Amino acid sequence: MKGTLAVFSALTKNWIRSRTGVFFSILFPVMLLLLFATVFSGNENIKYTIYIQNFDLKNNTPTDLSKAFIEALNSTNNFDIKYLEPNTNISYYIKTHPSFTSYRILIIPKGFQEKAINKSISTRIEIIIDTLRKILELYGNNMNQTTRDYIKNGIQGLESFNKSLNTQNVTITLLLDPSDNSATTIKGIIYSITTAFNNKLIGTKDIININIKNTSQRTLKAVDYYLPGYIAAFIMTNGIIGVTSTVSEFRRNGILKRLAATPLSKSSWIIANLLQQTLLAFLLTLIMLTLGLLAFNVTIIPDPPSLLLILIGAITFCSIGIVLGGIIKDVETAYGISNSIAFPLMFLSGAFWPVDIMPDYLQSIAKILPLYYFHQGLRELLIFKNIQQSYTSFIIMTSMAIIFTTLAIKITKWKEFE
Amino acid sequence: MIRNLKNMKEKVIEVSQLTKRYGNIIAIDNISFDVYQGEVFSLVGPNGAGKTTTVEILECLRKPTSGFARVLGYDILKDENKIKKRIGIMPQNFNAFERLTVKENIELIAKISGSKTNINEHLKLLGLWDVKDKKFGTLSGGMKRRVGICMALITDPDILFLDEPTTGLDPQARKEVWTIIKNLRKSGKTIFLTTHYMDEVEILCDRASLIVQGKIIHTASINELILKYGSGIRIIADNKPNSKEILHEFTKNISYDEDGNIVGKFSSLNDANKAFTKLYENGIRAHIIMSSMDDVFLNITGKRINEKGELI
Repeated sequence: MKGTLAVFSALTKNWIRSRTGVFFSILFPVMLLLLFATVFSGNENIKYTIYIQNFDLKNNTPTDLSKAFIEALNSTNNFDIKYLEPNTNISYYIKTHPSFTSYRILIIPKGFQEKAINKSISTRIEIIIDTLRKILELYGNNMNQTTRDYIKNGIQGLESFNKSLNTQNVTITLLLDPSDNSATTIKGIIYSITTAFNNKLIGTKDIININIKNTSQRTLKAVDYYLPGYIAAFIMTNGIIGVTSTVSEFRRNGILKRLAATPLSKSSWIIANLLQQTLLAFLLTLIMLTLGLLAFNVTIIPDPPSLLLILIGAITFCSIGIVLGGIIKDVETAYGISNSIAFPLMFLSGAFWPVDIMPDYLQSIAKILPLYYFHQGLRELLIFKNIQQSYTSFIIMTSMAIIFTTLAIKITKWKEFE
Repeated sequence: MIRNLKNMKEKVIEVSQLTKRYGNIIAIDNISFDVYQGEVFSLVGPNGAGKTTTVEILECLRKPTSGFARVLGYDILKDENKIKKRIGIMPQNFNAFERLTVKENIELIAKISGSKTNINEHLKLLGLWDVKDKKFGTLSGGMKRRVGICMALITDPDILFLDEPTTGLDPQARKEVWTIIKNLRKSGKTIFLTTHYMDEVEILCDRASLIVQGKIIHTASINELILKYGSGIRIIADNKPNSKEILHEFTKNISYDEDGNIVGKFSSLNDANKAFTKLYENGIRAHIIMSSMDDVFLNITGKRINEKGELI
């Protein structure tokens, strides 16, 4: 036991004094969390850039109605509106102003105001005529002849006036890039605005209203998703990349041989590594949760089950690192192989984004990766405090820990060093 | 200086018909030798001769394919832990935790081995006191080897295994390591040393086994090896009218070298001294050349070992 603790202490000191080690184990995850959680924390305030080319001018200034329509778009706070002059050739403009953001252009045609007003008046008249006819149909028998004639004459007068109006439909044009991921959202917003604008023009009132309420007990932020995901992902990288490379390095430079020549047993060496990775995992968790509190005002206090899952995760991924470090002879190859295992794990498992947004086949792949169960379990425990939902994670991660620790003991050479 | 070996009776290492194969390659081939308590024993030979394989078998870091070995009376196959507790090792190309200080690295081995020895004393003894708080990775090659020896000694071992302790060091650093080994030798520590440097063997060791291509060619004391297989003691004198007569008084073995100097070969150091004194009294310039382990190796194997440890 003394030997195990001595090696654990040596490994920890060796890690703490390695700038690269501390950067990739602690600082890099902290930077990523700060970056991603900040970038994606303001989803509700995302503004889509949209260009408007307004041809509906009067004395070279936009008509009142076209201005009102643009104002309605602006009032949603969803758009960053930019204007294109009516004489701008759109194709030429796009060609000469390349951008990584897809172009979205809304064209308001000439005569927008006039046609919209005429059409709205005509529609209102049609509604009145239709209402008067219904009155005659339903209540005409109860009226005297004079009243019926007044109404009929009124209908005729209105029909005659309506015919005299120029009642063309108004068509605004929305140009979108087919590759624009936000196209559907933008179309939806503009459709809603147009419908509301139409209703206002004809003077109708909303009949069905929507009352939006939160389904969560507390408002979940982006950081709630990222925190458990990043803790899990970087416990994984610390094990698979960190341990693989250090074990491989210790093997190459003879430290392992030096230790093997002492009374220290192979299992003590492995336990010392597991302890060191567990300490690192808890330290990472503490720092990430503190950052969540200080930077994003998210209070997460880990309970014993979540600490247990972190321990199991650290053991699993550290064992994988010991296995790989025991197999791979060359340090550079160890770096390469461990990176090529850890990075796909990180991105495919859903640690960085929900698996639901990935294609079906990638979702199937995610669900065979240990990291998927690790971060899912941690999210259930840390965020939702739902231990029942983490049982699968516990079962799978414990099995993995047993398998890889056994393999690590089998594969680690304590004799016949090359 | 050769020590009196009469008291070295107790065998601390027994190697009998030891063989190690790696597939079709025979690393060591049926080797046998003994090492006695208190002696400095060397396994000397070129690179790839099987020195490290042998020493690692004795350190319980490799298993022999066949044969038998005992260290401190313990079977290397059955009593691994007992042996490891009582030996100190410095492997070839020794390394330690780069970012740990000298003292922390030594403490690590002491703690693993449960050693109660005074670390500070060892640091002072090996000239490491001033660098005890420096990180191992920042030390020079010579200092690193000192740390290696200190780590090997910290458990107060009964046998110290030093595998190529001076390979790759500059001459100054080599001499520093030699001084440490000489001091250990004076203290009576049993040392098993592998090397390809013949001068190292001559200066540091009591006995040696010459190993080439996995086979032990000869095992004997350094004295015996030099006397038996060396080129004897030679006096090279200027070719003056009475040079030959003076030398002839003490030896019959006289020849001439390529520069025309007269060469007298002696089997006794006493005769050589007398001849040298007489030449000096007669104003004839001369110098004595002692036989070396290089000569021994050359005379036994017909080859030399260069600085890199290659057989030439």
